[in-house]
Amino acid sequence: MSPHPVGEGDLDVTAAEFVLGLLPQADHAAAERLLQEDRAFAQAVAGWRARFTELDDTAPVLPPGSGLWSRIARNPSLAAQAVGDRRAARPQPSALSIKPAWRGRSLRAMAMAAALLLAAALGYFAQDRASKPVLIAVLLAEGSAQPAAVVSAYRDGRIELAPLQPIEVPPDRALQVWTLWDRAVGPKSVGLLDQARSTRLTTEGIPATGPKQLFEITLEPRNGSPTGRPTGPILMKGLAETAL
Amino acid sequence: MSSVGLDLRRLAPGHDDLTAEYPAAGALDAAASKFSFRRIQTVRQRVTSYAGRLPPWEMRLSDPAAQPIDLDQSLRLCAQGERDALRLIYDLEGGRMLGVALRILRRRPLAEEAVHDAFVQIWERAASFDPQRGAARSWIYAIVRHRALNILRGEVRTDLTADFDDLALASPDESPETVVAMLSEAGALRRCLDRLEPDKRRLIVLAYIHGLSHGELAARLAIPLGTIKSWIRRTLISLRECLA
Repeated sequence: MSPHPVGEGDLDVTAAEFVLGLLPQADHAAAERLLQEDRAFAQAVAGWRARFTELDDTAPVLPPGSGLWSRIARNPSLAAQAVGDRRAARPQPSALSIKPAWRGRSLRAMAMAAALLLAAALGYFAQDRASKPVLIAVLLAEGSAQPAAVVSAYRDGRIELAPLQPIEVPPDRALQVWTLWDRAVGPKSVGLLDQARSTRLTTEGIPATGPKQLFEITLEPRNGSPTGRPTGPILMKGLAETAL
Repeated sequence: MSSVGLDLRRLAPGHDDLTAEYPAAGALDAAASKFSFRRIQTVRQRVTSYAGRLPPWEMRLSDPAAQPIDLDQSLRLCAQGERDALRLIYDLEGGRMLGVALRILRRRPLAEEAVHDAFVQIWERAASFDPQRGAARSWIYAIVRHRALNILRGEVRTDLTADFDDLALASPDESPETVVAMLSEAGALRRCLDRLEPDKRRLIVLAYIHGLSHGELAARLAIPLGTIKSWIRRTLISLRECLA
């Protein structure tokens, strides 16, 4: 911890700067270690978090995208424990003690258990179905037959982009992903990337992906097309097809 | 390839091959979501404080105010492997957490990424949550802010001052003063921020809600970098005194 400002001077002020996110990279990393190791620092950080958390309440409440929860639920660390060991190993008495009203109502409990089992089974199958794309669009690089990216649309509505080639993006430019499902509506932006990387695409205000739906990527100003329509050169495009 | 060779900008009416056909949403998914609603209700029942609790058949998920949720208890259930407890936290706080993340990251896909990662971390670290060391809510928001700040540093840390218009676009009415005005007048944070000089108040609020660095703050307020650093430290010390 020695040469860093962390640890020097007023540790409590450093804790506040850490909470604000103002520490430079190296100090930030040092503070993260200190948070684990030093109880006084951890307490100072918790204190500042509590003081500032009222500001979090001023943030707007935004509806998360429809696929966000299912993506969280599919995360291996959650999925592994869904039906498995952690639940079985958990001490039962404490779980029961917090629902005393249900004790003895065995019939109802059994009905509930059956419903939960059914829900778990349905969830399992729904998840299995959700993990395979229903539609795939292979985007070909403009002016060549080289596949440049793949767009996969899943049953739960999620759409993901996976680039297959690196793309050189000038510093003041960004890659913008568009889709067109209805000429009357016109192309809609479903993503803005600073570089070619795998990402989920926005599905807000976009109906479920259909066959022959067009996806394309254009080069746009860094903050996205100013007009809300593609303005820059097309880098790649392709049509969604049903996956077998 | 001929049907793909369509430029979005030159699309003439009459290209039937681009008309989307949308598959109906799976009936199975609908059934699954109905059951998960039941499951969430059962968990909700367990994490709701018993005083003044409504009978389960009168519970409404959409009405969190009517149901004081015990986040401490939800975290304990998460630690025991109860996924529905995590879902409950998501239903209650996910939208606001997305708002917090979007203020920092300004791009929705990145903000959703931060919320996704935060929920996975909440799940994994629920057992380490210690109510003695701070409120559950501030712990949860600290996780999403921390993740958003790390994404900001690692993935899109560029000179953000150049595209501040973008920020205005994301939240048109959100000046630091507006944010402060949203704080409860009865709260200590509001009282203490109000006592600061306007520029110093702006520094602290901008750093907290948008995750701006010293350099970005200096550019934003047209104040030399060295001044910014010492102002922030001094302001934090006077805030601490006021909030003590």
